[in-house]
Amino acid sequence: MSDREPKILSFLCNWCSYGAADLAGVSRMEYPTNIRVIRIPCTGRMSAKFILAGLRQGADAVWVSG
Amino acid sequence: MITFKLNGQTVQGEEGQYLLQVAENYGVYIPTLCNHKALEPAGMCRLCTVELFDGRRTKFVTACNYPIWEGMEVQTDTELVHEGRKLIVEMLLARCPDVPVIQELAKKYGIEKPRFETEDNTCILCGLCTRVCEKMGNSAITLTSRGLDLKVDTPFHLQTDICQGCGACAFLCPTGHITLDKINELITTRQPEKIKSEYDVGLKGRKPIYVPYPQAVPNTPAIDRDVCMHFKTGGCQICADICPVNAIDHTMEDETVELNVGSVILAPGFQPYDPSKLDFYNYNHPNVITSMEMERMLSASGPTGGHLVRLSDHQEPKKIAWLQCVGSRDMNRCNNAYCSSVCCMYAIKEAVIAKEHAGDDLDCSIFFMDMRTPGKDFEKFYEDAKTKSGVNFVRSRIHTINPVADTDELELRYVTENGEPVTDRFDLVVLSIGLEIAPELIELSQKLGIELTPGNFCDTKTFSPVSTSKEGIFACGAFQGPKDIPQSVIDSSAAAAAAAEVIAKARNTRTKEKEVVPERNIIGERPKIGVFVCRCGINIAGVVDVPAVVEYAKGLPYVDFVDENLFSCSQDTQDNMSAIIAEKELNRIVVAACTPKTHEPLFQETLINAGLNKYLFEMTNIRNQDSWVHKNNPELATEKAKDLVRMAVAKVARMQPLEESELPINHTAMVVGGGISGMAAAKSLADQGFETHLIEKSDHLGGQGVNLYHTAKGESVSENLDKLIESVRQHDLIHLHLNTEIQNVDGFVGNFQTTLSENGKEEQLEHGAAVLATGAVPYIPTEYGYGEDPRILTSLELDKKFNENEAGLEKINDAAFIQCVGSREPGRMYCSRVCCTHSIENALELKRRNPEMNVYILYRDIRTYGEKEYLYKQARQEGVIFIRYSLDDKPQVEVKKDGISITVTDHILNRPIELSVDLLTLATAIIPSADEKLANFFKVPMNEDGFFIERHAKLGPAEFATDGVYLCGMAHYPKPIDESIAQAKAAASRAVTLLSQDSIHSSGTIAEVDPTKCASCGVCVSVCPYSAPSFAEEGRFAGKAQINPALCKGCGLCVASCRSGAIHLKGFDTDQIMSQIFEMDEAI
Repeated sequence: MSDREPKILSFLCNWCSYGAADLAGVSRMEYPTNIRVIRIPCTGRMSAKFILAGLRQGADAVWVSG
Repeated sequence: MITFKLNGQTVQGEEGQYLLQVAENYGVYIPTLCNHKALEPAGMCRLCTVELFDGRRTKFVTACNYPIWEGMEVQTDTELVHEGRKLIVEMLLARCPDVPVIQELAKKYGIEKPRFETEDNTCILCGLCTRVCEKMGNSAITLTSRGLDLKVDTPFHLQTDICQGCGACAFLCPTGHITLDKINELITTRQPEKIKSEYDVGLKGRKPIYVPYPQAVPNTPAIDRDVCMHFKTGGCQICADICPVNAIDHTMEDETVELNVGSVILAPGFQPYDPSKLDFYNYNHPNVITSMEMERMLSASGPTGGHLVRLSDHQEPKKIAWLQCVGSRDMNRCNNAYCSSVCCMYAIKEAVIAKEHAGDDLDCSIFFMDMRTPGKDFEKFYEDAKTKSGVNFVRSRIHTINPVADTDELELRYVTENGEPVTDRFDLVVLSIGLEIAPELIELSQKLGIELTPGNFCDTKTFSPVSTSKEGIFACGAFQGPKDIPQSVIDSSAAAAAAAEVIAKARNTRTKEKEVVPERNIIGERPKIGVFVCRCGINIAGVVDVPAVVEYAKGLPYVDFVDENLFSCSQDTQDNMSAIIAEKELNRIVVAACTPKTHEPLFQETLINAGLNKYLFEMTNIRNQDSWVHKNNPELATEKAKDLVRMAVAKVARMQPLEESELPINHTAMVVGGGISGMAAAKSLADQGFETHLIEKSDHLGGQGVNLYHTAKGESVSENLDKLIESVRQHDLIHLHLNTEIQNVDGFVGNFQTTLSENGKEEQLEHGAAVLATGAVPYIPTEYGYGEDPRILTSLELDKKFNENEAGLEKINDAAFIQCVGSREPGRMYCSRVCCTHSIENALELKRRNPEMNVYILYRDIRTYGEKEYLYKQARQEGVIFIRYSLDDKPQVEVKKDGISITVTDHILNRPIELSVDLLTLATAIIPSADEKLANFFKVPMNEDGFFIERHAKLGPAEFATDGVYLCGMAHYPKPIDESIAQAKAAASRAVTLLSQDSIHSSGTIAEVDPTKCASCGVCVSVCPYSAPSFAEEGRFAGKAQINPALCKGCGLCVASCRSGAIHLKGFDTDQIMSQIFEMDEAI
């Protein structure tokens, strides 16, 4: 493994994980900047196509949380 | 405006500004040690020296206190300036060789060792401390002596009470010369203490100006007048100087506001018991903490960030003990005879979470008297804690906590159930403190003239559980008795209903119509995107380079307008944004600011006010998920903000105006079940002015209530029940349907059509809401010889004998009760909640009829929670004998001629004993009616025991996830009359929030079927948790799926599972999400 930070694309459920990410900010926690969040209404909305598209666009990892 | 040249660049500043301020605004770095934006500059450290050309000659000035003037030319980094600064740093290093800030500066200027003789000072005489002390209005310290002896000190080197110990000097000191300890030792004669954070129960400090806790609503800082320096000295006011929107006004005073109201609700809560009064617990030891402190320690937002440590040495504990009933069930040491109801459950929860945090090696023991987990799903949690999490439960009340000398450990001594004495050591002991009423509250109650119970809780009656003794004043939550969150939430809705019942006629008399701006049609227009980037004061702009994000956004496709706001959410900015949107005819808006979870509705309102459809909007989160979490990485945070804005712009360009369909609401309610809960719900609905149909399958009202004798408070059930039945029968707005079954239910929230069969005759009922109160039945035992002998009864059969005043009861010599018959055992792993209290009340009734009678209660844990504990105490005082048995050694019952023989292992003697009784009462389980047909009609779920599952165990305890359907009473979980009535009122209260509206709006972000693509596979119909999709029955697209906008919650489950791509989720459609993903290739 190299030292390169992986690019992470994440899909967060509006009701839980997205709120948790907000709370991490309110609590002034810190984490690396190499993550981009797309808010979805529920992980039920998640489609395999989104994951494949993300990987094709150069994401090293796709994180779905909900 | 003054224009001048800074390093060759033309810059502008305002009149009166100093050079350093302007340089900072333009991002030009000038080093300084003695400057602070809250204080007037003094030019003490000389590090900020720069070169100034005044048109004729060059000179050196200190930038911090040099006012700017038109046409001047300044160089901040010439060789001469650099040489000058280097000399200053070298001299500072010689004076303070061990100060890290100076060492770092020296390194920067390439100085390894000063050429001058070194001293061991730590003060650089910058004067920040003396200036801030003056600013604070104290002037306790100053620069004393002269020349080489110049130093910071108090006058005459004497400690003084002028110093308030505010610590501002230590806070600002750049070298660490002044510390809080030094202030205590050398400066102040007062004994200043750190300000403790109330939220973190003193485990952490806080500032005099503070946000009480991260989720506080409103999330704005407050000033604590008792500790704020301004209110002590008249000085400081730094917060007001710094606040960019001038929000702070120290002259504001408390106002007396008079309100004219029809009803009052008291919800003042409880205070946690303070264990410091009990010296034998050694609460002053750092490793003896309260359960409240433990809660904070386990919280990710707590003082240790969720890392579990003991406080003495911050090491991870290996063994933790919880001591139950501290400040509860205790007459001798604290006068709180009641049970605090919640501590058993929270102790188990804390132990399980502690093990989750620290791993399986952590040893957790809970020392208890009776394990009281009578709430819904609590018993299962208790069982799992024992069997799956491996928490130890020890039945023993610990008397003393002994610190072990020369260690940080604590010693507990106790006796096991087998009678063996044990001495054990723990790293951390948690006191499970109880709930009590604050003295101020007792005073308030006296002022209001409301009666209190012996435990100082608000006194209420069983049949009016939220009404105080004073008409028009209602109470809810722990003020009415110690209780947990679900019960408090039920109570609060119930109090709202009760308060509304008395003023129902005034409903809607003070509503105002809102002016509506007509919506502009943008169909066919090319996207014209407006982007607003918020600075959020310094919250965003302090990390993210907002002007750079603005510049970047200007270059994105379809973007027509970009601006930055200081605070996008302030009212004037909102108005300004509306005006810009209208004036520039923007048709898509992006706001890059905080989180859409709190602010999306606000900005959507801005769009509406500008005549734009509110769904032509996208919000992106550059605060909570960017600037706040990447504060040490401003460059990458700025790049992330740009990416997020680009992704939002890509998505918003694809947004279309969405419609919200309007659904009319039928104002009639239907209540299913004519027991106490159903009647109470119907009466509350009708009292609030809503026509209500009460459906009962039998030929009479009252449900199980007709079998009951007395309440736990000693009131007659039949008297109160008769009154309730009469008021229901007499009510103009209640339509009673006896002998009625429900045949079918169609429709949805606000528009249900129910088919009733009343005495075999079919009838259609249209209603807007439904309350399910289908109740429960007693378990009919097959054990303990039930049915073999007339002297073996169930609890309800004994009540019947009391009600009928059957002769011979007073002649009984020996009577016994067996608890948990059919409850708390495999197959029915729940506590029936009411039986302990019921049996004890009946035992006392037998004693009243024959004081000489021997009464035995065979139990597993006595669960007289709250103030029901008094009954338990009274029973013991009156000689009722309690014998505990365990699940694996149940009592044996044999019917004999001369009596019923019961063999049970006595928990004290630890050997079997035989009782011979004339009356055996079995406290049987409560089993839900579990009407599956009804559950299917309303599409509401049931748990494995057959109880209905509420929307949310804590926050939605009287409603279903299905809109427009509510629940109460024993169909939810076994509960006594007062709790049933409270939940009935709560269900009514929740229903009224719907019924009182003329129409509701569905969301615009819902799923829609393209019927030409639909293959009629039915996957969407089966996966939707809200029953929104169905097959169209008629029309052109009969047989194809359709989605009811009223039921759709917009989760997108059907969209993801549709095989033919026929379903679109408006606002989160595939092309919209894909467009965000496609913007990824540049990202990161």
